[in-house]
Amino acid sequence: MYVRWDAVVNRAADAAIASCSSAARLASSSGSIHADVQLFGALASLSAERRIRLALPSGATVADMLVTLGDRLGQPLLAHVLDHAGRKHRHCRLFVDGYPIEDVNTRLDTRAEPTQIEIILLIAPEGG
Amino acid sequence: MNVFNRQQFQSPMTSAKKDDAWVPSSCALCYGTCSILAHRVDGVVVKIEGNPESAVGKGRLCGKGVSGIMTQYDPNRLRYPLRRTNPKKGLYEDPGWKRISWDEALDEIATVLRKVRADDPRKLVVQRTTTVTASRVPMHTFATAFGTPNFSVSGGGQHCGNGAHLISGIMHASWSVVPDFEYCNYSIFFGASKGHSAGHASCSNMGKAADARVRGMKMVVVDPLCNFAAAKATEWVPIRVGTDAALALGMCNVMVNELGIFDGPYLQAKTNAPYLVGPDKLHVRDKTSNAPLVWDTRQNCARPYMDVPAADAALEGEFTIDGVSCRPAFHCLREHLRKFTPDWVEHASSVPAATVRRLAKEFATEARIGSTIVVDGVTLPYRPVAAIAFRGAQGHRNSVYNFFAIDLLNHLVGAADVVGSCLGFNPTSHGHPETGKVRYIPTAGPDGLMVVGSWMGYHYPYPPPEPRLPQNLGLQDLFVIGMTSPFLDSTDREELWQKFELPYRPEVMVNYGANLVMSIANKDAVAASLEKYKFIVSFDLFLNETSSFADIVLPDCGYLQSLDSRSNFPFIFSLPGGLGDWCWPIRQPALPPDGEQRNFADVLLELADRVGFRADVNAAYNAWLDLEPPYRLAGDNRYSYQDICDAELKNNFGAERGLDWFKEHGLIKWKKKPEEVYWRPFVDVRVPIYWEFLRSIGDKIAAIAEPRGVKIPSEYYDPLPDFLPCRSHCCDKSGFDFYGFYYRDVVHTNSFTMENPWLDEAARLDPFSYTIAINAGEARRRGLSDGQTVEVESETGRKVKGRLKLTEGIHPEGLGFAAMCGHWADTLPIAKGKGVFYNDLLDLDWEHASPTNLNLDLCVKVRVMPAEAVS
Repeated sequence: MYVRWDAVVNRAADAAIASCSSAARLASSSGSIHADVQLFGALASLSAERRIRLALPSGATVADMLVTLGDRLGQPLLAHVLDHAGRKHRHCRLFVDGYPIEDVNTRLDTRAEPTQIEIILLIAPEGG
Repeated sequence: MNVFNRQQFQSPMTSAKKDDAWVPSSCALCYGTCSILAHRVDGVVVKIEGNPESAVGKGRLCGKGVSGIMTQYDPNRLRYPLRRTNPKKGLYEDPGWKRISWDEALDEIATVLRKVRADDPRKLVVQRTTTVTASRVPMHTFATAFGTPNFSVSGGGQHCGNGAHLISGIMHASWSVVPDFEYCNYSIFFGASKGHSAGHASCSNMGKAADARVRGMKMVVVDPLCNFAAAKATEWVPIRVGTDAALALGMCNVMVNELGIFDGPYLQAKTNAPYLVGPDKLHVRDKTSNAPLVWDTRQNCARPYMDVPAADAALEGEFTIDGVSCRPAFHCLREHLRKFTPDWVEHASSVPAATVRRLAKEFATEARIGSTIVVDGVTLPYRPVAAIAFRGAQGHRNSVYNFFAIDLLNHLVGAADVVGSCLGFNPTSHGHPETGKVRYIPTAGPDGLMVVGSWMGYHYPYPPPEPRLPQNLGLQDLFVIGMTSPFLDSTDREELWQKFELPYRPEVMVNYGANLVMSIANKDAVAASLEKYKFIVSFDLFLNETSSFADIVLPDCGYLQSLDSRSNFPFIFSLPGGLGDWCWPIRQPALPPDGEQRNFADVLLELADRVGFRADVNAAYNAWLDLEPPYRLAGDNRYSYQDICDAELKNNFGAERGLDWFKEHGLIKWKKKPEEVYWRPFVDVRVPIYWEFLRSIGDKIAAIAEPRGVKIPSEYYDPLPDFLPCRSHCCDKSGFDFYGFYYRDVVHTNSFTMENPWLDEAARLDPFSYTIAINAGEARRRGLSDGQTVEVESETGRKVKGRLKLTEGIHPEGLGFAAMCGHWADTLPIAKGKGVFYNDLLDLDWEHASPTNLNLDLCVKVRVMPAEAVS
């Protein structure tokens, strides 16, 4: 193999690897989705509820779930999860059925019912 | 004995008769966390050696590591929980310690924590020492679950990493950088001891650096002091303290503008050098995609960077787009560099102009731009030069530009994460061959610029988060380039909190092992901060200057008594860069607790149970350790720390490789692939030689800060690096003609190890460890003599005393202090009164902190007076 600066490996290959496990787990299904959302740490402190059952339409994404969550718990709480551009804050970890989700456009269709969603804010700074 | 026999391995404390075991574990005398073998005979550890099976340390162990026995068996170790009886707190107040039971201690702590959590969890500050890397996850987990964003690592970051880790992350996707010791032919160390004493992967790098020197690697050390690195160097270049950026920028100028040497294809394909920049210093962007435009030389028009083959993107030229004049970022850089002439460098840094030119020519020539080499059957770019930096160059208010300027040397010649070049510590891992974990690869973020694949925290260096009115005590959510902050303890913290309308104040602190009073800045400032806390609980091995401020002190287990599934951070911290093995070692106890000592991680779990947030702790462990089914911690189940360690190991390495397997083997390792080590050509990411985002961030911070009376100096937020003088460089007070600085001593770790009798003895034998190094000629000119006791005074009137050591090996304007000595606690009888407490000279306020990355200014303009003249 001979590697040049401008002959880089296509990053799409890596993206495919990164997303394949999520895609396999989040297989499509029909009907509505029930999601059990659990908030932990600071998010739980900020919310009147820490375990919320949401009903979402078929095909709903993580972003849709968060919008519904924001409607229920208030936008200030949602600001801890999403930035101004609607991207998930990096230090907010979100798990669907135990697996981490970074892309909020990920669909929530899943074989598990209800879908288990856990959201926790981690601490950003580190030093040393 | 340096080669161990696996048959000799025994699980700790399991032999029924003759106890003679070599226990594979991990050191914790510094954050290097080298792998060790602890030889236990009849229940007593009699020797500690490096573990040759491990890539972390490679069987080598420094003087600190072998001395760990003396810390373990120190008669002054804490053995019981203590409660203060004297409510008055102060630097010299006797706390009036009274022994209490664990139940009493945990009851009281849980009551306090329950109350503050119900009130406002942000009032809790969680603090840890960086010396014990494995404390990171349990302490972060506790803070996360509790719900506070206020976490600090004491002096860590403010002193040694806010600049280094930022630039290493943005430019190399790693916590730190080193030369590729196996292949590098020419290295320049700017105030970096990596490979020569302390630092990440310290023992591994010492061996690699030594082998490289034997192989013939030329090593130039730029440093005010000719110490651990410079003493072994091919050439020592003395430099005025804090002026590293001046030299580096001068060298860049010579390379680009005098010699015309740079790696065009690298800059086109792997950096933002072709991105067009308008007169407002911002990129000119495509109206549809908002992507930065480049000038396509083949089609003679501007197009989004991702649509243009790298070789066709112009690096220089003046172009007009929609009536706006613009130039590629590289063109801007080239013009910007012209002002850093060798003569100017000589004036700023004291490095002769001829030396600047020679070093630049040597570096550029040795880079062999355009060459390739075959490694394990893979043909790769070959750039056998590296410019690295660490604590010395970055420990200043101007640390961002210091480090940025130094790393530009590498990127101008394409010497970044390819064979022989400047390497990040393992930025790309394809994971264990069987499980695919731990896998991470840098990715392209906004504008195609690199986002790290792995990072110590979630404060990624790029892209920076949006600045906001701060909610954190450290203000890092406003100063988003910063990591560790001085504003938890600074003398102007209350003023800043009021200006930024912070709606709460700190009340409770949980501290793990940090001696804040000594490790941040002057003791009076930090003491004033600690006195304000309503309640402090501290996990400690010994009573020290900071635990005197605690309400309750808890006796922790030492590292020879502790278990950790990840004794270091995988893999960008303590695993050496370059070819070799991936390696995941654990820490396991060779000895039981003594008295009522308990491991802090288990104590934190019990506290969570008592306060009632175990479910949050379990969720936080799942998140911090990336546990996936079936190893995720469920509900509020009461797992022990051992259970959690077992879960992490099985999660990463398979069900058959849990804690029992690791206790027997000590570690797991597998071979690195060339495309992991030399990943840069394989991953489609760019790095910024032009930091457009810095300008945008600076504008947003100013928009929040300046209406509140905090002026943001715009020169710190310019996209191109400059030499910005420290406060010390601006001091013109008569008689203040030395730059005080401290450096990491080879036999000591921060302020921690002075109580170790063996290390103390070594330090007393070392003429520099407990003294103040001064240039011999300058000293004699002032009538000062070797061994003389002097008073050193800062321009703001802070004073320390110490003995002089005259040497030719220090810059004439430098005054060098080793480590952080000068303990005064009676509970540290070995350490007490030895050496000099340099940090006591440091002011701790906004004026002495970087307005970009919050780095403290660690150089101080001082005067030196005979002690008898001022007594």
